Amino acid sequence: MSYFMGIDVGSRTTKGVIAYGSRAKTFHTIFSSNNYREAAEKIREGLLSRARLQAADIAYTAVTGQQLDNLSFPFHKASDTRCCARGVNSLFPEARTVIDVQGQSTQIIRVDEKGKVVNFVVSERCAAGSGRFLEIIANVLRINLEDIGPLSLKSQNPVAFTTSCAVFGESEAISRVAEGTPKEDILAGVHRALAQKISTLIDRVGFEARCAISGGGGLDMGLIKAIEQELGLELLIPQKPELVSALGAAIVAQESKP
Amino acid sequence: MSEKSKGLSKVEEICSQRSGRAKELKDEGKKIMGYFCIYPPLEMLSALDLLPYRILGDMREPITKADACLPTVVCPFDRSALDLGLKGKYDFLDGVVWAHVCEVGEKTAHVWRTYLNPAYFHFIDIPHTIHKPAQNQFVQQLKDFQKTLMSFTGKKLTSEMLAEAINAHNEQRSLVRKLYDLRKPDPPLISGSEVIKTLKAIMSLPVKEGSELLREVISEVGERKDGVPFRPVRLLIWGSIIDDTPLIEMMEELGANVVMDDTCVGSRAFFPDVKLTPDPLEGLAYRYLVDLKCPRTFKESTYGETKKDYLTDLRSRFSYISDYAKEWKVSGVVLQSVRYCDIHGYEVPGLGDYLDSVGLPHTYIEHTYDERSLAPLRTRIQAFLEIIRS
Repeated sequence: MSYFMGIDVGSRTTKGVIAYGSRAKTFHTIFSSNNYREAAEKIREGLLSRARLQAADIAYTAVTGQQLDNLSFPFHKASDTRCCARGVNSLFPEARTVIDVQGQSTQIIRVDEKGKVVNFVVSERCAAGSGRFLEIIANVLRINLEDIGPLSLKSQNPVAFTTSCAVFGESEAISRVAEGTPKEDILAGVHRALAQKISTLIDRVGFEARCAISGGGGLDMGLIKAIEQELGLELLIPQKPELVSALGAAIVAQESKP
Repeated sequence: MSEKSKGLSKVEEICSQRSGRAKELKDEGKKIMGYFCIYPPLEMLSALDLLPYRILGDMREPITKADACLPTVVCPFDRSALDLGLKGKYDFLDGVVWAHVCEVGEKTAHVWRTYLNPAYFHFIDIPHTIHKPAQNQFVQQLKDFQKTLMSFTGKKLTSEMLAEAINAHNEQRSLVRKLYDLRKPDPPLISGSEVIKTLKAIMSLPVKEGSELLREVISEVGERKDGVPFRPVRLLIWGSIIDDTPLIEMMEELGANVVMDDTCVGSRAFFPDVKLTPDPLEGLAYRYLVDLKCPRTFKESTYGETKKDYLTDLRSRFSYISDYAKEWKVSGVVLQSVRYCDIHGYEVPGLGDYLDSVGLPHTYIEHTYDERSLAPLRTRIQAFLEIIRS
């Protein structure tokens, strides 16, 4: 019995990983649908059936993301900062700085060679620094989230965004649409604004090479390119960046098994 | 207030209706003087038999009236306090004393005077530096304050009366320091939330009644067996005002005991004594300007020198915090501030550097002085405690 489960209940999607050692055996993602407890239970069932395992095969589980109590299975509650750090460390042991772009916020984590959190900073309660800003802009431009990145990369002339507030950013984007600015230039402008915000956060905790990205933001090639340009470096990009915290939670489950 | 309750149960009772005792005393003819922040010298009020009553906000009450008279992008604590005033919650005050603590505080003072028009209102324009000319200027300000108080009460305020009040307040301060000694053992004998409630309670009572309550709490806490549970992390909390318990309770739930503070419903308000000087106003001026440790006052390690060494400057401003950390065996420091508090915000980078230099883990959180807005801070506190424990 050496399987461990990590569950990351996000505001938009819930992610789960069954790990053997620090390697993911099975993973699964569902929409959180405003019922986080149900999402955690469902992802566990889904993971078990995909992995063809029984509940008894899972030695322990850690849950991160939304703060949950009273689940039907024993679990350890861990912060998403710690889980993200462990997850990145298992994939990229050389990473010392992590940019974790989530739906509701962005965090910068400094990690040591063992994946322990040395320091961290989280963007303040404001959608402008998070994936939510990209969702809002995708909605204004009537494009799918997954098309944001490829479209942004085509831009030759990114728009300068004067605001770092998502609500004003939305109306600014609407004005640019009305003026006939190409969608790719608006997107590239938004990506640049996000990258600048991330760079400011990094200044607050300090930077050490190398730098990895995680969270749903890591799926957006437009954002990645903007960050790389802003910081003047090449990011370490996981194959499935959105699953990093769930993988880290599975590792935390191993560490914290009672 | 019931006759029977004592100690911590009396504290609970007072906190559930904080103005209760003041209103009772008002019915008996005593004048109640509201004060904002910790800078008005309370001794001058107590000496004239006025009850100093600390004006606080309420982080559980939505701000609905104040936004018509103050911008929304300023200190939410000031907005909350004004909101309560506009809703009539401070109507029992006979007068109000403000001090120039920060820019927003100053403007809120004038808004308060305009909209609430108390029978007595005095604004003390306290200097923001600590050198001798500033101290002299502050003494002059206190003389003006003395004049308006004498005219309002129709009583003379003599040096003897002031000295007596200074002694009474110093006695209360020494009791608060004793209360804080009870936070030194591991686990502490009194919790962070209980300390805030006790201090909040005594800030609504006449000084001698407050001291009596402190004695009861100290003796009760010293004897009880089922006090505070052991928690693996011991925190010091620094920053802008915390006048309610949700933030502290969150830290306790996540596995930390808050064993020390540097906040103004806390050690900042009570630790320094007033020295008795031939002219008592000079002793008062020195204590409130030089000894109080709020970042509203600009303190330089060396005055008049043109070159500054960063670390020496940081040490002279913040070494008391590492002294606290040693004495109270603190394992981490939470720097917290209400949003838009510039005086605390400016202090954070320097204080962070200082804490790094003495090897104390720290984190910074910002909140909107609203109980419902604290939830997103939970994972940050959790992550910080994990760092300390690992």
